[in-house]
Amino acid sequence: MKSEELKNQDYKYGFTTEIENFKAPKGLSEKTIKFISEIKKEPKWMLDWRLKAFNRLKVLKEPNWQKPKYPKINYQDLYYYSAPKSMKDKPKSLDEVDPKLIETYNKLGIPLNEQKRLSGVAVDAVFDSVSVATTFKGELDKKGIIFCPISEAIQKHPDLVKKYLGSVIPLSDHYFATLNSAVFTDGSFVYIPPNTRCPMELSTYFRINASETGQFERTLIIADKGSYVSYLEGCTAPMRDENQLHAANVELVALDDAEIKYSTVQNWYPGDKDGVGGIYNFVTKRGACRGRNSKISWTQVETGSAITWKYPSCILQGDNSVGEFYSIAITNNQQKADTGTKMIHLGENTKSKIISKGISAGQADNTYRGLVDIGAKAKNSRNYTQCDSLLMGNKCGAHTVPYIRNKNSSSTVEHEATTSKINEDQLFYCNQRGLNQEEAVSLIVNGFCKEVLQQLPMEFAVEAQKLVSISLEGSVG
Amino acid sequence: MKPLFNIDLKRIPSSNDKYAADREKNFELFLKGGFPNKKDENWKFSDLNLIISKNFKNITNNDNYKFDEKIETINDFDHNKIFLINGSLKSYDLQFEESKKVKIESLESFEGSYDQIKNNLHYLNKALSIGGYKLEVQKDYKCKKPIIIYNYFTENLDNKIINNSNEIKLSQNSELTLIDCNIGKKSKFIKNTFEKICIDEGAVLKNIILQKTKGNGYFYRNISGTQNYNSSYQNFILSSGLEFNKIEIDMNLEKEKSSCYIISGLNLSKEEHQEIKTQINHLAPNCKSYQKIKNVLEGDSTGVYQGKIFVKDIAQKTDAYQLSKALILSDKAEFNAKPELEIYADDVKCSHGSTSGSIDAEAIHYLMTRGIGLREAKKLLIKSFLNEIFEYIPEQKIRSFLEKSIAVQIDEIR
Repeated sequence: MKSEELKNQDYKYGFTTEIENFKAPKGLSEKTIKFISEIKKEPKWMLDWRLKAFNRLKVLKEPNWQKPKYPKINYQDLYYYSAPKSMKDKPKSLDEVDPKLIETYNKLGIPLNEQKRLSGVAVDAVFDSVSVATTFKGELDKKGIIFCPISEAIQKHPDLVKKYLGSVIPLSDHYFATLNSAVFTDGSFVYIPPNTRCPMELSTYFRINASETGQFERTLIIADKGSYVSYLEGCTAPMRDENQLHAANVELVALDDAEIKYSTVQNWYPGDKDGVGGIYNFVTKRGACRGRNSKISWTQVETGSAITWKYPSCILQGDNSVGEFYSIAITNNQQKADTGTKMIHLGENTKSKIISKGISAGQADNTYRGLVDIGAKAKNSRNYTQCDSLLMGNKCGAHTVPYIRNKNSSSTVEHEATTSKINEDQLFYCNQRGLNQEEAVSLIVNGFCKEVLQQLPMEFAVEAQKLVSISLEGSVG
Repeated sequence: MKPLFNIDLKRIPSSNDKYAADREKNFELFLKGGFPNKKDENWKFSDLNLIISKNFKNITNNDNYKFDEKIETINDFDHNKIFLINGSLKSYDLQFEESKKVKIESLESFEGSYDQIKNNLHYLNKALSIGGYKLEVQKDYKCKKPIIIYNYFTENLDNKIINNSNEIKLSQNSELTLIDCNIGKKSKFIKNTFEKICIDEGAVLKNIILQKTKGNGYFYRNISGTQNYNSSYQNFILSSGLEFNKIEIDMNLEKEKSSCYIISGLNLSKEEHQEIKTQINHLAPNCKSYQKIKNVLEGDSTGVYQGKIFVKDIAQKTDAYQLSKALILSDKAEFNAKPELEIYADDVKCSHGSTSGSIDAEAIHYLMTRGIGLREAKKLLIKSFLNEIFEYIPEQKIRSFLEKSIAVQIDEIR
């Protein structure tokens, strides 16, 4: 097999779509922000908000406490907005969308044509800095569910956006979150009206295509009283030997009795075997369980990116609210991950559960970092944390850094963590029954991750399982 | 604002030595950063700067080592004695040991410090250290009786700071049980100690840290050590009863088959704040480390455990375990933990667990249905919670002595 072919087998989403781009001027400045705001036809309040964030950004320093270190990012050498030219005037229907874009998504396995879709999953496809298409809008409209690009929501539902945007991740949060607030381009907006169960899975597919571009998307999901929504997120990028920045913000708000299930399969380009190229995935995800009996559940399968650095968190404000975090982080070759969660218990009878599975192979480094904080008023709260790490070879690292704070005598916190390697006996057993080494490893690793994979919606689970196997290819032997 | 310090280097007994310039330089380096605060990751849960500035002003270094009282010694078991007055070696009595097998001498102030600076308090120690003791056990000698170090603190130490440094060396195949025992009057002072431990091939050091009388001291103690082939270090921390106490243990398992045990049982009340921070570095294959930290927290107390296990890539077959458990008895008490693993070798068994919560209501109910009152039932459960750590002390007499001193503490629980 030619080396070129082999490469493509490693990362099958590594292709580039040749499409004419329309970009913002290079660099981070007030001008760029005004440009983005103008092109999105945003109202003045939105621009003011962005500029406020930009002013704050000038004071903030880039954090450096994380385990994976990276070369300094030159923020003036990036494009903050890039969109296919054909998207400049928003197409009114799918027929008007550039066929090249539709083909790209078909290639990625995300058909945008509603008839072609087998299952009822509504998709918002984001290509670089714009949303290309949102499917099943009509059906969702009937129930009063709003599912649209955030740029559209700013224009059509300003009250909702004003009320909730930045309410979970404030403007001044930290460097990358504030950067996102200043320059965010597109993303999804979801509003589920009271007592509504969203009839289908909502999904966003992010694709970085243009080079030298950072993707800064912003997602805002609001589940009103008594509602339920399951949201999926997938992402890929072409293979390039430069590092690209992806700094997204995701905010979730669950009101009384509402439930949000947020699943991510992150498969950004991880860089090649020597660690050249790949995406820096520095994402801020945070959910607020504002109402009583509300629930937010994060599930993530992190296989891609050169560096993954994110902590999807839950702020459990409402009494009896529940936060969950299920994570698989797989790092191979030179990949690095520093991921985990924060569970902040403020209300009474709040519960949280953390299941984290970290797998490192090659020369990779995998860190679980998490916080469980039980406030003085969070009576009768409970947390259970389990983080398991699997090491393949002695050139990689697995680290666990949990922070546990308990200020309440009626609350219980339990934490356990283990580190191990693949059991020789299990491997032998599989080999004996005719599985080769790689199949055996894949089987065992899938078993190791099962608790998390089970949490994923059907369509994603199958993909994720395959991904787990592919990510570890070539790591044994 | 008034300056926090009023330090005079001349008050150090051996101050007119050639190190005077070094001391001054180190003190300046310390002042640059001051006491560590919570922005420092290692002090995240114990903001020493805040604690010191809230409780102290005009801190001076101590110059009083005079002492003529009789120290009440422990009568529960035979032992050798070392007396330290305000951190400085006063006298010793090794009546149970063969002569020349155990060497004790006064440590010159600067000798005990080593070059690698660990934190800002290390600068402070280097600047103001009055020395301490140096203890060495000769090759193949197994001490017949334990040595108790009576760490006595005199009256009138208010707003004083004591810096001292000690060195302990166990030669090949030697054995020693060392009991640190703090006794003193109720003055409010700061103590900053740096200790170096070296355990040679096949040697065994058991170190028990005990706070005999309740005190108002603010203690920091840094123990760093190296362990050779097949050596063993066992540390028991029972130091409840101080306003603030942080014990930092940094142990390097440099050769195969060495093992390190850190066992702690703390019973904190009122506004006590204690932190145990450990870093166990597994640098060679086949080593074992075991940590068990138990805290009972009452009143406004704060218990902190920061433990780190580091496993180097060559340290295969490592067996490392960390467990921290806390019983929170009051709504104002707080427990913070950060049990950390940093692992670069794949064929290892490393795990940690951490729990915190209140006493099991069902267990109380069970005892009460059998006619035991609520208070008694609580005490019984706390006792059983803490007594678990004594399983690791085989010497019956020492064990019952320690059990007794814990029982006194538990009796005070309302």
